[in-house]
Formats: sequence, structure tokens, C-alpha cells
Amino acid sequence: MPARRLLAQDDQIARERSDYIAWLETAPNSPFAAVAQQPIGRDLRLGPADADVPLEGVVEHRLTANGGRIALEGPDGTRPVPRALPLRLGRYTLVVDGPASGPVLTVFRNGGASARNHRVEYYPVDRSMVFTGRLLETEAPRKVRILGADGIEVEAIEAGSVSLPLGERPVRLQVRRLPMGGDESELEIFFRDSTNGSETYPAGRFVALVPTPDGRYRLDFNLARNPFCAYSTAYPCPAPWEGNKVPMPIRAGERYRP
Amino acid sequence: MRAAGLALLTAAALARAPSPSPAGPWRAVLDLAGGTLPFRMEVQRAGAGWRGALCNGTLCQPLSGVRVAGDSVIFEIADYAATIAAAMRGDSLAGFYRNVGNRGPRTIPFRASRGRWPSTPGAARLMGRWDATFFQELGTSPRVIELRNGRAGLEGTLISNSGDYGHFAGAVKGDSFSLSHFDGSFVYLITGVQRGDTLRGLFHAGLRTQTPFEAVRSTGAPHLKAPTEVTGADTTTPFRFSARDLDGRLVTERDPRFEGKVVLLDVFGTWCPTCHDAAPVLAALYRRYHARGLEMVGLAYEVTGDTAIDAKQVRRYRDKFQLPFPLLLAGINDVEAAGATLPQLHGFTSFPTSVFLGRDGKVRLVHAGFYGPATGPQHERLIREFEGEIEKLLTEREARSR
Repeated sequence: MPARRLLAQDDQIARERSDYIAWLETAPNSPFAAVAQQPIGRDLRLGPADADVPLEGVVEHRLTANGGRIALEGPDGTRPVPRALPLRLGRYTLVVDGPASGPVLTVFRNGGASARNHRVEYYPVDRSMVFTGRLLETEAPRKVRILGADGIEVEAIEAGSVSLPLGERPVRLQVRRLPMGGDESELEIFFRDSTNGSETYPAGRFVALVPTPDGRYRLDFNLARNPFCAYSTAYPCPAPWEGNKVPMPIRAGERYRP
Repeated sequence: MRAAGLALLTAAALARAPSPSPAGPWRAVLDLAGGTLPFRMEVQRAGAGWRGALCNGTLCQPLSGVRVAGDSVIFEIADYAATIAAAMRGDSLAGFYRNVGNRGPRTIPFRASRGRWPSTPGAARLMGRWDATFFQELGTSPRVIELRNGRAGLEGTLISNSGDYGHFAGAVKGDSFSLSHFDGSFVYLITGVQRGDTLRGLFHAGLRTQTPFEAVRSTGAPHLKAPTEVTGADTTTPFRFSARDLDGRLVTERDPRFEGKVVLLDVFGTWCPTCHDAAPVLAALYRRYHARGLEMVGLAYEVTGDTAIDAKQVRRYRDKFQLPFPLLLAGINDVEAAGATLPQLHGFTSFPTSVFLGRDGKVRLVHAGFYGPATGPQHERLIREFEGEIEKLLTEREARSR
């Protein structure tokens, strides 16, 4: 980028949206079902009303982190806790994720996602809100610690920026590479625009930069998503990325009604 | 009469329930953001149901299940909690590969049509060992690309400081080449163009991650860090480990079976494809040198951390490779977490890692990663190096005790 506008592929947008909604409505680790999220530190007490994480109907358990090794101690003994995979505890599901140096517990209510007490709403597809172009690389990229959409702190890399022909002057947005495990990562933009707070989520939205076969990138605001803090107060909201404010409304992608 | 005959025909046609058969080979692709990753699927009748395999070139691995319902086919890859679900229309399949993600579903479009990919051998000038440099935001990192022609045309592998990425099946078109590896979880594609003695291209991981690379023909000088220089160790005191075996018994370095023996400690996971490459080699070394004083022990770092589930996986792994030495459940498959359980290793990075202990129980050599059969001559050389190290350690004490 500077990018030119590209005709959106409506069916692909519809498919990605429905796939995401299906995940939100059925996955055991769906943010719809999240009830608590907390860094583990050395340990966390779970269960009773005065515990670090009170859980209805769960007797006292202790979650401990020792050199990246997580264990759950309860009346029936101690069991190791797998990373990034769901573990059931009574009527809840626990997921421990994040870096080994700072693991984070997220608690989900079983069946909480299927209650469909949330609605994900999108603006109608706007074909003018899809861009393709180059990534303008940063001269000296640094590592930055930021929160991902799921509220978990990760070490991201400054990947560069994109320049978009929005309004009268081009708008430049920072792009960061967020780790996804293994060799995989995602180029993401966390941006704010003038619809935040009235039509869209106040904290801003995430949108991914998708590589195309010719070495350029596609940015489709129709696929802009809320951070998970929009669905559950269990999640902390990522802080806005400096400078990533579009001085006009982006009426595309996910909406928000409090 | 005519009307009745027609009605009968229709009923017969309906009764035959025209659910199309998925049997046979399928030319399949995953549509990544930066290109298509080709692989093959093979489906066969198995009793009343179906079974299938996922293949990269000549290398196939069984799917855990194939289900057909109406015009939809579901391929299950239980090891990785993944599925490929597709709709069958005549001779084509279209759908998605999916597994669980934490920030949304990990979904990649999938297509297939009946038949096999044509075998395309590469030109002689493309074959051999290439020293590659991967360009990432924070700097460059070295890889080696090995290319050769096999029974199914171009094939090869990709090697990093911590081992190889497994077997890649290739295709060639003019000066362009591609190599792919899809095992149900890891999604890797290398695409590139050859210009004289330089290869330029992209390494694709998963749906959207692309890393540009450039490679030059290897001069034979080492391009990667030697596997024995990746991980350091405390060599002054005997190496300590402690974990339960598959029957729940605690095993430590003080177990009598290790006393005065040369010990090869295999840090592995059943989820790690390179570990599967290493297992038969370790079993052969054990059989060859056990009588002369070699012991082995495997420390498994597994996915779930649930003892019952992990023990089952490790038992299956032990039986598959007929491993004659104890396998212990040591922890979960996180490099940092595993490193923390073995504090005498410094800079633990790779599964598998082989730790060679002398008869005094102290670390003599730490070999990070493993070159699998996909690496050809490197694999052969690694076996010779392991044999050499074992021979040396076995004679150390034999010489001293004389």
C-alpha cells in the first residue's frame, strides 16, 4: 500500500463470517462463554467465594505455575494442566494459554456459548472497503508486548505500516505480527475510527492483513472483528495502538450494540 | 403396463441411494493465502465403512476415520483434533480443513478431484543441497533445503537448526518449483524459482504466514549451527531426571538399570513427527549396543498433561516402534516447560533432543533435533555420528577399568 480499492468477494466474506460465528456459538473456548481470565503468577485459588477466581459449585482448587509447568491441585490430587487445550472442572472449562513466562487462565462456562445470548452483527458488505497493496516496512522493527484479541499478552513484532486512500489524505496504520504458535503468525492491525462508541466497539477493532500470491496484501474491513472484551467482561481490552486512528467512519465489519 | 414398469424403475433407482463412493485416489489441495498446497488422499472400503490415508508423495499416513453421509465426506485426524469436511459433487470435493484455535477457528479451504498428481521430476541443476536464508522482520535465519528426484518426482526436505520439517513432495514447472508437507496439523509449502545457482521464493506456514527466502548452492561448508552446539549442559555433576513410567513407577537416574552404563536419554513427544523418525534408529542402536553397556530412556513431553491420555499415546508409540527401553511421562510439550524440568540443560530448543551420558552419569554430548530419512545423506551421517559417540563412551570406562 498505498493501496487501490479492490472488488470484494462477497461469498468469501459471508463464509469467513459464518465460520467465525459458528466457532463463537459452539467452541468450548468461545469468548461468549468466558467468565474469568487472570494471569496465573505463582498460583491462583479457584472455587470458594473469596478465592482469586470464584467458581459456583467448585470446591477449593489451586492452580500453580512452576517453571512453565501448570498443575491443578484439588481434593482428588494434583493433575498437570495442558497448554491451550480445554480442561473440564465441574460446570466450567479451563484453558491456560500465553507465554510460558506469563501463563494466563481463562475460565469458560460449559454450554455458555450455545445459549446464543450474544449477537454478532455486521455492517452490510461494503465493496469499497477492501484494499490491496504493499506493506511499508519499518526500518528497525522492535518486539512489543501487547494484548491479542483474546486479552492475552504476546510478544508481537512491528511489521510495518499500510497507507490507505481513505478520505482526503492517506491514512497510515501500523501492522504487527502476532505469534500463533509454531512457524505461524498473523499480521494484524488494531485500529480505531469515528464510529467507535456509537456504532462499533469503543476500544477499536482488529483486522488482518492477508498475503496475496503476488507478494502484496489484502485488507478487508468487512472482516474487522471486535476484541473478545466486547463479548465478555472477563477479558481485558487491548490498549489502542499509537497513531492507529482513522479520522472517519469505517462502516464495515463487526458492529456493536451494548 | 408401461406406467407400472416406469414406477418400478424409479423405486429401484431410489432404493439404490445414489450416495457417491469416495473410494480411490484424490488430488487434493489446501488453498493457502499465498498459493495452493497439493497433497493426495486415498480412500478405500473397510467393511461397512471407509478408511483413508493422507499422502505427501510416496509417504502416507492413515486417517483416524472417514465418514460419508449423503454427499458429505468427513476425514478425521484425531491426533491433531482436526477434520476435513467436504461436499462431494461427482468427481470433486470441496470443503474445509479445520482445527481448534484460540482466537477463532483455524480454517483452510480444501478442494480435491479424482486421480493422482502427475509425477514431475526436477532438472539435474535443481537437485542437491541449498543453503537458504529466511528473511524475517527481526533478522535472517538459516535453513537448508535438500532436493532430489524420487519415485514420485521431486521430493526433499527443509532443515533448521533444530531439525528437519519432515518429508516434502514436490512439483516442477519450468524454472518454478514447489514442495509441500501436510500431515493433518503442520501446513508447510515452499514455492520458488531457480535462476542459475540461486533459488528465490516463499516459505508458507499455515493459511497466512509467508517468509521470503533466498538460497544458494551449498559449498559443503556448514550453514546451520551444528546440532551439538545448540543446547549446552552442566557436565560437572551426574545428570538428574525423575519421572513416572507408563505403570506409574517413579524412575530416576539412580535406578540400578543405569548404574555404570552409557545412557542415551531421548527427550521426545509422540506428537512430534521428527521424533517418529528418530524412534526406529534409537531402537536399532539399543539392540546393537545394549549388551556392551548401553541403556536408553525416553522422556515424553505430551500434549494433554493428563496422565491417562498421555500414557495411552506413549504406549501406542512404544508398541508402534517396539521400543525396548523405558519411556517416562516427563511433562508437557512446551519448550520452556520441558527445559524447566531438565535444569541441567541450557538452551533447550528442540524435540527430539538426545542427551548422551557417560558411565559416570555426566553429560558428554547433547544433540538437538534429528535428521530424518527425508534428509538422505544427513540421516546416514547422523546415524554414524550416534554410533561413533556410543562406541567412544562404551570404551571410555572399558579402557579405564583395564
